[in-house]
Amino acid sequence: METTFEGNLFTPVSSVLELRAVSCAYEPGRHAVQEISFSAREGEILCLLGPSGCGKTTILRAIAGFEPVRSGQLFLSGQLVSSPDVTVPTENRRVGMVFQEYALFPHLRVQDNIAFGLRHLVRSERAARVQEMLRLTGLEGFERRYPHELSGGQQQRVALARALVQHPIVLLLDEPFSNLDPDMAGRMRQELHDLLRRTKTTTVLVTHDHDEAFAMADRIAVLNQGRLEQFDTPEMTYHMPATPFVADFVGQADFVPGTVSHGMVHTELGEFPDTIECKDGTAVVVMIRPDDIHLVPTKGARARVLSRQFRGSENLYTVSLPSGQIVHSSQGSTSIYQAGTTVEVRVLATHTVLFRREDSTG
Amino acid sequence: MVTTRHQFASPLQLLALASAGIILLPLGYVTAQALSADPVVWQRLWTTRIPELLFNTVSLAASVAVVTLILGVSTAWLITRVEIPGRRLWEGALVLPLAMPTYVLAYVYSYLLGFGGPAEHLWQLAAGPQARIFSPHSFWGATLVMALDTFPFVYLLSRSALLSMNVSFEEVARASGVSRFATLWRVTLPLMRPSIAAGLALVILYVVSDFGAVSLLRYQTLTYAVFQQMTGRSDNTAASILSLLLVVIALIFLITERWFRQRSRFYQTTGRYRAPERHRYGRLGTSAVISYLGLIVGAAFALPTILLIQWSLSPEALATIDNRFFGFVWNSAILAAGASTGGVLIGLPLAYLACRRPTLLNLSCLQAAYAGYVLPGPVAALAVLILFTTIAPVFYGSVLILIVAYVIHFLPAGLQSLEPALQQLSPNLEEVSRTLGLGMRDTWRRVTLPLVRNGFVVAWVLMFLQTMKELPATLLLRPVGFDTLAIRVWMEASEEYFQLAAPSALLIVVLSLPALALLVSKDWRAA
Repeated sequence: METTFEGNLFTPVSSVLELRAVSCAYEPGRHAVQEISFSAREGEILCLLGPSGCGKTTILRAIAGFEPVRSGQLFLSGQLVSSPDVTVPTENRRVGMVFQEYALFPHLRVQDNIAFGLRHLVRSERAARVQEMLRLTGLEGFERRYPHELSGGQQQRVALARALVQHPIVLLLDEPFSNLDPDMAGRMRQELHDLLRRTKTTTVLVTHDHDEAFAMADRIAVLNQGRLEQFDTPEMTYHMPATPFVADFVGQADFVPGTVSHGMVHTELGEFPDTIECKDGTAVVVMIRPDDIHLVPTKGARARVLSRQFRGSENLYTVSLPSGQIVHSSQGSTSIYQAGTTVEVRVLATHTVLFRREDSTG
Repeated sequence: MVTTRHQFASPLQLLALASAGIILLPLGYVTAQALSADPVVWQRLWTTRIPELLFNTVSLAASVAVVTLILGVSTAWLITRVEIPGRRLWEGALVLPLAMPTYVLAYVYSYLLGFGGPAEHLWQLAAGPQARIFSPHSFWGATLVMALDTFPFVYLLSRSALLSMNVSFEEVARASGVSRFATLWRVTLPLMRPSIAAGLALVILYVVSDFGAVSLLRYQTLTYAVFQQMTGRSDNTAASILSLLLVVIALIFLITERWFRQRSRFYQTTGRYRAPERHRYGRLGTSAVISYLGLIVGAAFALPTILLIQWSLSPEALATIDNRFFGFVWNSAILAAGASTGGVLIGLPLAYLACRRPTLLNLSCLQAAYAGYVLPGPVAALAVLILFTTIAPVFYGSVLILIVAYVIHFLPAGLQSLEPALQQLSPNLEEVSRTLGLGMRDTWRRVTLPLVRNGFVVAWVLMFLQTMKELPATLLLRPVGFDTLAIRVWMEASEEYFQLAAPSALLIVVLSLPALALLVSKDWRAA
């Protein structure tokens, strides 16, 4: 490793993976990801969340060493592995990877797939390691099957076992549940979470599904158009989104315009505290989630129900305010109001999320 | 830890560039020779030979196209839409003519239709002792032989179009009150058009570059003329000019074929697949269909094969099966093994780079390797000959020069099975191997090669068998006295020693069958 002394000196010991202002580009001048910085602690599960084309897979491939880094630095276990001048080959990085399509070697049995990277061990030790992984992933009895003889869930477990048997510094998962049916995906999610906790594996998982990210992650990195919008816990990401994009992407959100005066935001739905300390007269939007809006049917009220979407455990109402602004409200499964019902709209928010008006379009 | 800045080995890149160079250089030399020729030579050719040759070539291609269109589409439709006894057998039998090199079919038909031959005898029984039939050494003779030999191309592509077509289109037409016949005309055939066109382009490409049939039937086409210029007149300049013309024509039809093949994919991939319903005809109808198919398969494969077997068993033929004969077999095998091994070694880096790193440069290298498609045998021979006499005359008359010509000529056939094998290999498989601690070379050895091995073997076998029956380049470039099976067939047949040519011809046909099976099985599964 030809890393500089400073490179090692300033790397915090606790972080297993660290990205410092990493940018990648497929062609010069057109960045796929730009100035990404985040780090993962030992045993942590990170999610890269974002819409398709946001660059999350590029980051994963940069960590694995498949994509060169145009600027910035990438550290694994405190060692510089990627920078514009240095690219440590993938095989020397000790990263585990599970691809979206699993990429099981079709010409090898399950046991040989798992043992693929264990050539350096003696036969008995190799067999012991494989057996241990088979037990951990619940694949005992399948070791002599070929990949095409397995179900989707089993294939995924083999891919996982093959990666984990190497004791990787970091495990990379690319949309691991997208090829499973929803029922199976739910179960695998739980299983995978338990397994990663038990093996204390530091993991980076890529997904476009915020439910998946919430269920799996200790921290979530939300990406949009190659930039990191927020890096936070799932709870903070949902309740205190840093940008309108994050607010919208991790759940349903309405943005109600308002104006600041005397430390309060005045909107069509009432007044809210000004949490971002603006000058009087600043135009802002207030983010409100459907679960914070309560409807009371009232004769003569000026808001009216436009439509109802039944979702089983709740009813999601689309409501038109007098100004024409549309908001959404989540009501109990049994409160049913017809379209056209006039309603009073009450906001029951414990906290307010404000954005300056010019942000709200981005 | 080892760090590298450039992860991808450039030796592979250099190898690919060199291969593309070896392939394009001869073509470049022919073009240069043609373009730098004295205008007087061009003038002479344009006023004397070219109009006639062009007319002959184009009219033969057109007439063969019409006959193959009728034979190919009708057989494909009958096979896929009519229930007949032994349907599976007929389905395969209709491909068999492809195992018959044109020179073998041509020589069988010059006996059958020849002066005093069996066809004439039959005809004289009916029409009187002075009646004559058309000579095989004519436009119609060449049309018949070429059409019987190439209609399976149209049959195969039409068949897969009919099988993969969404049946709902036809059902919608019927539901709208359109009759069965009108549905065929207004829905089925238009949907098949791109596939039929691709098949016809392939047929024309084949006819234009054929040497075996036209030389035995003495029908003057451009390809035959290139050969004659080189042998009879030793005029390589005139041959280059004719070659250039031929390459341009071939290029047009190659591009046509690719274009239509791409469109046919677009036409067919709608909706879910459901097997079309097959009609059942009455006894009369069924016998009519079977007689029709029987007539075609009989004329194109069964009858010639029976004749070849009969001739091979004659005492004259048996007498030729001696050490000399096995020498020819050995020569053929050596040449074919050299060419196919060379082809795979050159083709693999080209295909791999184009597949994994599809830069403009790599894709161009791969396309260059397909140049062999537009080089008919005599042209490939001419190109390599000019190249070697210019830069390395010592190899003139050696086996090496012949092998280079084969590789250029048959590389496309090999690439066609190497390329899909590599494309089916997900790059993730190689990447995952890297994450498991294997370097580039180990990954190649333990992942890439085991997974592309089948494509590799198929490519080798296809090139081996194609080289085995190659005729014109072998005739032009072989070392003195170095005869192969194909050469023996052609020489004996030219002298009308039908029996003596039979054992070699039969062996070639038998050896072509496995190649045919390999070739067809891909299309078969795709359909």
